[in-house]
Amino acid sequence: MNCMKNPAVRRYLARFSAAMVLYAAFLVLSIWLFVHHHPTGPVAWLLAFLPALAIILQIAAFGMYLSEEKDEFQRNLQVQALLWGIGATLSVTVTWGFLESFVQLRHMDLILVYPLYCGLSGLALGIQQMRYR
Amino acid sequence: MKNRLKVLRAERNWSQADLAERLEVSRQSVNAIETGKFDPSLPLAFRLARLFETTIEAIFTDEH
Repeated sequence: MNCMKNPAVRRYLARFSAAMVLYAAFLVLSIWLFVHHHPTGPVAWLLAFLPALAIILQIAAFGMYLSEEKDEFQRNLQVQALLWGIGATLSVTVTWGFLESFVQLRHMDLILVYPLYCGLSGLALGIQQMRYR
Repeated sequence: MKNRLKVLRAERNWSQADLAERLEVSRQSVNAIETGKFDPSLPLAFRLARLFETTIEAIFTDEH
C-alpha cells in the first residue's frame, strides 16, 4: 500500500499541517503583540504559551497517528525512530548541559530541543527505512 | 522466523506489491516479513494464512 493511500498517514499529514499553520499564526501574532503592545501579566504568559500549544498539538497528532496506524511494521519503524530520537536528544542535551556548567560552552536555548529531536528522529527513521528497503 | 511466503506468492504469480495490497499493508512490510527481518503479530499471521488458504505453521517455521 502506497503511504499516501494509507488513511492513518493522510489523517496525520492533515493534522500536522493544521498544527504547523497554527504554529506560524500564533508565532507571528505573539511576536507582533509583544513588539507593538508589550503585554504583561497573564496575557503575556498566554501569548508566550500559544506557539508551544501548536507544537504540543503536533506531538499529539503523531501520538494519534501511532494509535491509528494499522500496518504494524510501519508502526514499529516509527516507534523505533521515536525511541532513537528521544535517546539521542537526551544524550546531546545532557552532555551539552554538563559542558555548559563546567567548561562554559555556549548556552543552549530549551526552544531548540524540539527541532533537535525532530531532526534526530527523522535521521533515525531514514536509517531504518534504508535497512528495510 | 523462516517462511514460505516467496514460494506461496510465486505459486499465485503475485508480486510483493500485490500481496501488500491484499493485506492492506505496505510493500516494505511484506518484504520485511518475507526476508525474516520482521516477525508478524498473530493477527497478521492469521490474515496471511487465510489469504493463502493454509495454516500459520504451513507458512512459518520457528527456525531462524
